Amino acid sequence: MKIVTAGTGMAAAEFVEQLRLEGFDGEIVMYGDEDYPPYSPCVIPFFLAGEPLDTVFWKGKDFYEKYRVTARLGEPVMEVDPERRIIHAADGKSESYDHLFFATGSHSRYPRPEWLATHGVFGFKNLTDMVAIDRYITEQHVTSAVVFGGGFIGVDAALALKARGLHVSLVHRNTRLLSQMTDEEGGQFATGRLAEKTGMDIRLLTTVEKISHTNGQLTSVRLSNGQEITTPLLILSVGVTPNSAPLWGDDQGVIVNEQMLADPCIYTAGDVAVTRHAVNGEPGIYANYPNAMRQARSAARHLLHGDGSYGGSYNTTVLRKHIDFPVISAGSFTGEAVTWQRDNVWRRVYLVDGMINGYIVIGDARISGYLYQHYLARTRVDGIIRKIISAPRHDGYYREMLGFASS
Amino acid sequence: MKRIFVDYKKCLACKACETACAVRHHPSGTLVGSLGDRKTEINVHVLGIEHEAFPLACRHCDPADCLNACPSGALGRDSETGAIFIDPTRCKACAMCAMVCSFDAISFKATHRAPFGRDVAHKCDLCIERTKSGGSPACVEACHSGALVYAEYDATRNSRAAKTLRTYLLGEGGVPPLVELYRELRRKEFARRRGSEE
Repeated sequence: MKIVTAGTGMAAAEFVEQLRLEGFDGEIVMYGDEDYPPYSPCVIPFFLAGEPLDTVFWKGKDFYEKYRVTARLGEPVMEVDPERRIIHAADGKSESYDHLFFATGSHSRYPRPEWLATHGVFGFKNLTDMVAIDRYITEQHVTSAVVFGGGFIGVDAALALKARGLHVSLVHRNTRLLSQMTDEEGGQFATGRLAEKTGMDIRLLTTVEKISHTNGQLTSVRLSNGQEITTPLLILSVGVTPNSAPLWGDDQGVIVNEQMLADPCIYTAGDVAVTRHAVNGEPGIYANYPNAMRQARSAARHLLHGDGSYGGSYNTTVLRKHIDFPVISAGSFTGEAVTWQRDNVWRRVYLVDGMINGYIVIGDARISGYLYQHYLARTRVDGIIRKIISAPRHDGYYREMLGFASS
Repeated sequence: MKRIFVDYKKCLACKACETACAVRHHPSGTLVGSLGDRKTEINVHVLGIEHEAFPLACRHCDPADCLNACPSGALGRDSETGAIFIDPTRCKACAMCAMVCSFDAISFKATHRAPFGRDVAHKCDLCIERTKSGGSPACVEACHSGALVYAEYDATRNSRAAKTLRTYLLGEGGVPPLVELYRELRRKEFARRRGSEE
């Protein structure tokens, strides 16, 4: 049996590793658009912040040799022909497969793609971006940057550049940063504290409207509110788009079944896969590491043993990079809100039918694991949750168990 | 596989476990070296709630949510002891592990093992080097009251379940009398502090 993977990302690497660990001895060919061993996208901003490149290769730099993989690097899959079981790569060559693992991930969505032709404008999605930004900062002696887009990736980028010592302006069109992983009040709290703790220049309710350059070199950006910021570096992080077109014909993601199959011979996983949410059943792209791992393992198990199914995705997220100020959330922000805040810590749990429907924990990670486990288990917590989250010494669970009031 | 078992009713809150852990994980290996050092790693935490005390540390769960959540390859499981350990050279302190740990057993700090001058995750490593050579974790060895025990997981769980039932039904083999006396004195002291002397 011959396995081909479209993509060399985390899901594909986990899938291949599981196959080999389970004793699969057939041929494996991996196609990727970058010239690197599998790396962790969660980790790559730390390279930009000054840490060694080797630490991003989370399954080792020798991955392809270790797992006896033929790596076709720099050759993204451009088209899949499920009828003939053939993929067509960017270099015009074709490759047949018995089973295809389609995990092509996603790419940056650019508001104005032509801006990328200007020297000093970059996306912030993959290791190629990081290496290019790193080289640019070093060669041009860059001391300031503008990041356009204040979602997870934009804040991640801003914190990495800040950790490197740059003055960072973060431009976001919403009323608050991290608007997808927070509600209005939580997002406002997180935005304010992030500004205080990092000294970042955060510009909300505005967008980058125009860029200026001299001889192709970026010099400044103009915002939709009329303000102008002088900068040699602009990071674009306004969103991502799934790389589903080679298989699906559009960029809306690939819909899979419970066995992670999009076709009898094509498994799909990771940031390109449309799966059901484990709690509310809503289909969507739930792009995070634990989901990608579970999806890849489900696919590997099904391929080798013909059993098992994927239990659904969770939208759990945490942003804690370079500073000790975590922002954690999961679920949906609807239902009865129970909130507690003291100093730099803010917690809110949304209850529906007495169960956790969603939660946001900001400033201190403690209690978040308790909420996570009860969110997954669908247990009723309405009788105790207020006491649990409102203990300033984070000992609410133990106090509740012993029958003591909050300190 | 062996694990650390906690009997919180025997915990006297003396914090000998915390001290032993700090010394064990400090590069100097001494109490003097670990005192006053911001990088000192303490992986067991005695949580005091009124007159009760809970020595809290990683349970080395199996399966372990933290292990499945780590996106940097920093968390691993030792095949011999079953301990979940952290490689600080790979850890990015992203808190994915802490986000799913129901015991709040993972903390962040620039420890002596942190290679890049920033904080990393740290947690109980079950004193792998000691336990691999047949010893007990430092905290267990330091515990004077029997609150911490390092023992085979399945056998101890079964015997404790049976013992607890016997204690409940027949009043046999509970907390030792001296520890019970200490607990009673402490309970009264905390009641007095609350202004409700019984």
